[in-house]
Amino acid sequence: MIVRIIIDLFLILGCFFAFAGVVGLLRMPDSFTRMQSSTNIATFGVLWTVLGVAIYAFANQNFVFGIKTLMIGIFIVLTSAVAGHAILKGGYKHGIRPSNLVVDEYRRDNPNE
Amino acid sequence: MKNKSAAVFATFILCYLVWILFTLTFTAQELIVGAIVSLLVALFTANYFIHEDAFYLLKPNVLINFIIYVLFIFPVELWKANVDVAKRALSPKLPINPGIVKVPVDLKSEYGLAMLANSITLTPGTITMDIVEENGQNFYYIHWIDVASKNSKEAGDMIKGRLENWIRRIWK
Amino acid sequence: MIEFVYVGIFYVLLALILLYRVFKGPSVVDRAVAADSIDILTAVALIVFSVFSNRSIYLDIALVLAILGFLGTVLIARYLEGRL
Repeated sequence: MIVRIIIDLFLILGCFFAFAGVVGLLRMPDSFTRMQSSTNIATFGVLWTVLGVAIYAFANQNFVFGIKTLMIGIFIVLTSAVAGHAILKGGYKHGIRPSNLVVDEYRRDNPNE
Repeated sequence: MKNKSAAVFATFILCYLVWILFTLTFTAQELIVGAIVSLLVALFTANYFIHEDAFYLLKPNVLINFIIYVLFIFPVELWKANVDVAKRALSPKLPINPGIVKVPVDLKSEYGLAMLANSITLTPGTITMDIVEENGQNFYYIHWIDVASKNSKEAGDMIKGRLENWIRRIWK
Repeated sequence: MIEFVYVGIFYVLLALILLYRVFKGPSVVDRAVAADSIDILTAVALIVFSVFSNRSIYLDIALVLAILGFLGTVLIARYLEGRL
């Protein structure tokens, strides 16, 4: 019973952070800040839910499920870092310049890109 | 020559470990196919994957620092940044102040630079954009959702926080 | 554990809401980021559903979905950067 309460807590936390990320992705005003909100989905929106599922699997002596679930969660988190970095740089070089940047030192140092 | 075979061996061990953790069926055919595929992948990618000492991460004090960093130091920073960005997204006034700042970083090793850059990208609110080297000093360009300081030294202290000191204990 | 069904449905609903950003998004970066987020949310929903129904085939589908989402995003990024 206590395990079930812990699992519910983890699932609620994961759902909350995923919801916050989706709301940010819909509300933010420009491309790069939307990208920041999507990091919210890819880290805690995944990790808490995956941890809850893994605890459920381990509590039922289902170790194959638990280890595989944890591995997929870690894989998603690690690859989302690389994807976010790549698409920010790609978008900047493609010519996306949000108008509300208060300081842009990349433009100052590389003015002709 | 010895260096290259050590690099291939380390990559093979890593690939085989990942294969076993993803399949988790210990029959003979799965293990043999996994060994062959891991060996092929290791032969082709070891040159890109390992540039320095192949078994550096297995030294005891480095390994202990690495585990402490992954399990305790980084999740605390991740929690703080996640709550901060979730508050910003859900609050009605949308308090954002974005900008791209240039931040100095005092790491020399390639793996250390990549690890710090990925840690900064994973914490919501900051995304690393590029790494440049000028006169022996490395710089990051970071997109920051709330520019609190335009001075690059102060901004670096606020963004990196405790992460850089811990990574300097792992990679020189 | 009936909660797993509710959590899975919640994640799928979030993914459906994100389709709005894919259709409307002013630039191609917005569409790519929203599609990547849809991939991740669907993979998590598949994980939850596989544990609920106790069939491990959904875990493999979730893994393939995560890998394809990552590869697609990196490919779009390289194309936008002009180095493909």
